[in-house]
Amino acid sequence: MTWTVGIDTGGTFTDVFAANTATGEIRHAKRPSTPDDPSRAILLAVEALEVEQGVALSELRHLAHGTTVGTNALIQRRGGRVAVVTTKGFRDLLEIGRQTRPRIFDLQTDVPAPLAARDVRFEVDERVLADGSVHRPLSPGELDGLADAIQASGAEVCAVCFLFSFLNPEHEIAVRDGLAARLPEVRFSVSSEVQPEFREFERLNTTVVNAYLQPVMERYIDRLADGLMRMAPNARVGVNQSSGGLMGTDLARAYPVRTALSGPAAGVVGAVHVARQVARPDVMTIDVGGTSADVAMIRDYAPSLTREREVAAFPIRLPMIDIDTIGAGGGSIAWFDRDGLLKVGPSSAGAVPGPACYGLGGTEPTVTDANLVLGRLGTSLVDGGLSMDQNRAEEALGIVASRLGWSVERSALSILDIVVSNMVRALRTLSVEKGYDPADFVLMPFGGAGPLHAREIAVELGMTEIVVPAAPGIVCAHGLLVAETREDFVRSRRVPADPSSMSVIAADVAELDQRIDDWMAGLGGVSGTMRRELTVDARYVGQNFELQVGLSRAAHGEPLEVPALDAFLDLFFKAHERAYGYANRSAPVEIVNTRLTGLVDGLSIAPEALKTQSAPPEPRAYRDVWFNQDGPMETAIHRRDDLGAGTVLTGPAIVEQLDTTIIIHPGDVATLDAAGNFIIRITP
Amino acid sequence: MTVLDPVRVEILGNALRSLTDETFVSLMKSAYSTNIKERKDHSTAILDRGCRLVAQTMASPVHIASMTGLARTLLEKHGGPDGTFPELRPGDIFVANDPHVAGGTHLPDITMVAPVFHEDRVVAFVCNIAHHADIGGMAPGSMSGGMTEIYQEGLRVPMVRLFEAGALRQDILDILLLNARVPQEREGDYYAQIAAIGLGVRRLGEIIAKFGIETVEAGAADIIKRTGERFRGAIADLPDGVYTFEDVLDDDGCGTEDIRIALRAEIAGDRIRFDFSGTDPQMTGNLNVTLNATMASACFALQALIDPDCPNNQGLLDAVEIITEPGTVVDAIAPAAVAARAHTCQRIIDVVFGALAPAAPEASIGACNGANSTLVFSGTDPRTGEPYVYLETLGGGLGGRATKDGKDGVQVNMTNTSNLPVEAIEIEYPLLVETYGLVEDSGGAGRWRGGMGIRRTVRPLGHTTLFNGVGERFRHEPWGVFGGKPGAPGRFVLREDGGQEAVLAPKPPTQPLRSDQTVTVETPGAGGYGAPSERNETSRLEDAASGKFSDPYMTRHYSR
Repeated sequence: MTWTVGIDTGGTFTDVFAANTATGEIRHAKRPSTPDDPSRAILLAVEALEVEQGVALSELRHLAHGTTVGTNALIQRRGGRVAVVTTKGFRDLLEIGRQTRPRIFDLQTDVPAPLAARDVRFEVDERVLADGSVHRPLSPGELDGLADAIQASGAEVCAVCFLFSFLNPEHEIAVRDGLAARLPEVRFSVSSEVQPEFREFERLNTTVVNAYLQPVMERYIDRLADGLMRMAPNARVGVNQSSGGLMGTDLARAYPVRTALSGPAAGVVGAVHVARQVARPDVMTIDVGGTSADVAMIRDYAPSLTREREVAAFPIRLPMIDIDTIGAGGGSIAWFDRDGLLKVGPSSAGAVPGPACYGLGGTEPTVTDANLVLGRLGTSLVDGGLSMDQNRAEEALGIVASRLGWSVERSALSILDIVVSNMVRALRTLSVEKGYDPADFVLMPFGGAGPLHAREIAVELGMTEIVVPAAPGIVCAHGLLVAETREDFVRSRRVPADPSSMSVIAADVAELDQRIDDWMAGLGGVSGTMRRELTVDARYVGQNFELQVGLSRAAHGEPLEVPALDAFLDLFFKAHERAYGYANRSAPVEIVNTRLTGLVDGLSIAPEALKTQSAPPEPRAYRDVWFNQDGPMETAIHRRDDLGAGTVLTGPAIVEQLDTTIIIHPGDVATLDAAGNFIIRITP
Repeated sequence: MTVLDPVRVEILGNALRSLTDETFVSLMKSAYSTNIKERKDHSTAILDRGCRLVAQTMASPVHIASMTGLARTLLEKHGGPDGTFPELRPGDIFVANDPHVAGGTHLPDITMVAPVFHEDRVVAFVCNIAHHADIGGMAPGSMSGGMTEIYQEGLRVPMVRLFEAGALRQDILDILLLNARVPQEREGDYYAQIAAIGLGVRRLGEIIAKFGIETVEAGAADIIKRTGERFRGAIADLPDGVYTFEDVLDDDGCGTEDIRIALRAEIAGDRIRFDFSGTDPQMTGNLNVTLNATMASACFALQALIDPDCPNNQGLLDAVEIITEPGTVVDAIAPAAVAARAHTCQRIIDVVFGALAPAAPEASIGACNGANSTLVFSGTDPRTGEPYVYLETLGGGLGGRATKDGKDGVQVNMTNTSNLPVEAIEIEYPLLVETYGLVEDSGGAGRWRGGMGIRRTVRPLGHTTLFNGVGERFRHEPWGVFGGKPGAPGRFVLREDGGQEAVLAPKPPTQPLRSDQTVTVETPGAGGYGAPSERNETSRLEDAASGKFSDPYMTRHYSR
């Protein structure tokens, strides 16, 4: 008997889920999170699996987690001391960036100060040209003085980034090796290894962020791995990447920048898993927490990826799940702007003091207070913890109500309408960016507050179906149980798309395939099916935007097919049409990058089937709930634990469970499937 | 008259902003050219049937000027009695660019506008604008210096129908395409603008169906009214008084030097009047500005000072009164050349900042680099035998602020476009970028120092290229405020590999540059804020340790 474990480190609790790989049985343990050292709570929760849940830790084979250690270190500026080495003449590149300001009307706000100040940025006299040839050779004599300067700067990590190193990394590698020999205590991040693609500022910045996070991530991984080695010696640890696949701890130590969106990406990976369970390939997700909402898009069971985004206002260029975040959550505060219009968010009451109804000192009206006075939330949560104070909520909402001259309930409905319109705007923009109509998608809300607002969002976007996962609060952890292990290899080389370029790609593929073999050999102990996917980044000559074009896939050990030119061009034109609405079939095309992705399937776990429900469920209670301004309706309140597979609820109804509340509007029909997911059909 | 509550208005406003966001993204995604796709040099908007701006998503405030300018032209040309438009049909799309007869600001900015109908009457307009990489004329890119009449600057398009009742007028499109240097790219960009118009018309129809026409019309009016009240409230917070300021442009590249921009700003209660009387007559060169671009610049500066978060719609624009003398630099009339108007717009903003510094000391800043320092290289790529043109504008210093130093090396004022990566330049063009960094000692000293300019050195590889450039604040340095010192002016320097060097004119005309020569641009820094004697020690130590400022500079400005 073996177990696989998914870990979700939340702001308040660290949840650990163990799945029996044979039976699908799930065991759960939780411990309060330990933000100063998240590994402590993880180790305690894993220990609790054995002590409280009877899972023999020697039977753990696989342990996967998303981590916010890197993201938080970046936000709080708690990374290492970094020195930077660049090509002569480019010392200030890190500081100038792309010369833009965050907001055009705002004279006071700047992009964040660089993670390495000017006095720890050094230049080396070397130069590689756009064809990869060496223009100015490296002089080894420079390295002694450079090493002394880096030593004197007190740097723990050194980031090295030269121009055109993605074409010819020799100078970067030589400088790294030369410095490493002289500075054994210093770690290195080299741009041709961290992100070997063109655009020097984004590559440099990604490399510097990586360097900055290295010491933090090393300490974290070491503590976690040491502890687990003692407790569960047979378990292999996987860390979720921003792109949604797992990597081993060695890679996480070397490339911590890849975890920049690890946490939210795990949620989308979990959503993909749920999408498969319910056989809905096209899904838009909205993960609503206390302060913000993350929205993402899943097409044909695959999350939409982006090549670049900002994390803590630093541009990072790496494959990442395309997640948009807006300031709309349960704690979002309602306020009147200077023009007298009612706004909700982006500022939030957060966890402390929290919404007024928490009774922890918050006095400003929030979305959660509005849900409470409308009866959509109960006054106590399912496990009895955290009782909510209706009077305080009404008092806070009174501020809004008296200014509007309306009842508290009407004001509360207005606050919900506005927060929903903010969420709708984010989802609409995301779908237009990707070239899709949201009406063709199913909405999947999760997080504590997602299912509270899903219906209004879906109706606005013309959607007719909502899928609420079995445990909306633990979608992340569940996703990690089944996540695949993934590594992207890239060769950056610009060639025109002509018959000869296909053989250049074939040569690149052979080289990348060798690296995939090495990677797969290094994985050890992984039992899933291995496969590779070949994609190229291509564009019209003169465009500055590349499109990723999937060319072929093959199992490990089998040859990858490189298509003929015509077939490749056809794939490119179709992708262009999808993304941009047109394709010019006579314009010249060029290839910029060749990518090979190695993938190892995650474990497939059959969900533990719910018992079937034959009799209609008996509500735990009834209460008055406001669905619109017409007045309250008496509404059945169910507990999720009471409901079995096949349960059909017709709204108005509310289902409460430990980590969320599901609203079924009057006339809508919700069906509980065998895996515990609610599928809600909207009746317009 | 429908009376609306502030919740309904907010939700409607959100739907309208969503419309302009979506059309903005749609235009960007389907455009063909780098300038729109990568640099996002385009904007979208909704106007009410009175052609008043209701909502927008914009790359640059100067785009607002063109879109509202076009709408005014439409109103004048096709407006009937009682706010009706008897000649317009569903499916009409107008196109225009001309600054003198169609409300534009310079020719490469192509504007499109279409009426939105509800039950046989026009209820609103959707429009967009995109900066096209070329619109013909005497120089590739339609932006070079040396042009003295609008006829040299490219194709002038008055307001004409590109679509009539839903049908493309191919003859008009043929004229547009024949007059541009890369017609295929232009065609792609025109279709992107047309598609964005179509999406906007469709979405507004959905919004009207959902909210009802009365709510949409009354709501749009309410949004404008509320913004006007809000912005006038912010004006009222400024102390009443008359504030004057003037600044001088270096030259127009065609022999006119020291071109004066004068401003008298008068604040009384919630009213503000910017009077530019006394500004020099329009110049021979192409740095002239039409009235609507002057309005956009002045409104930008005021908003940045007093209410950066204010929604940008007609309510804001109408709160500001502008007085100019026709035929001057800030109110140019036909046939003035205007292609390089951006430099002057930047300076108008500096002038407003300078005038209002005593009225809003906490929000004010020292003069910024005040320019869009431009380098243009053209020639034949020896690697391919193909012709190329490479144009780039560089930022510089941002002025010192009330609580912190100015930002170094950044685009300022109304410009905020990304630069092209050096690796992209060298892949595309036979050029070598030898340095790209900050100019030492270029930030003006002060309690909070001004930002630093940018230095870039370029060498042609394996051939001789043709170089020209446009610099401003290359003779007149960016001033400081409240005792802050001026920043360094910019300069162009030509160097021979032997070591000989020559400083070029601020607007060097086209000249050959060999592969054993380099040209360096040093863009201007920015002025400081407050007296240098008040600069704290930590900041002074950092100035020296960072190597951004030399020992002689530190001694000159900070020794007591």
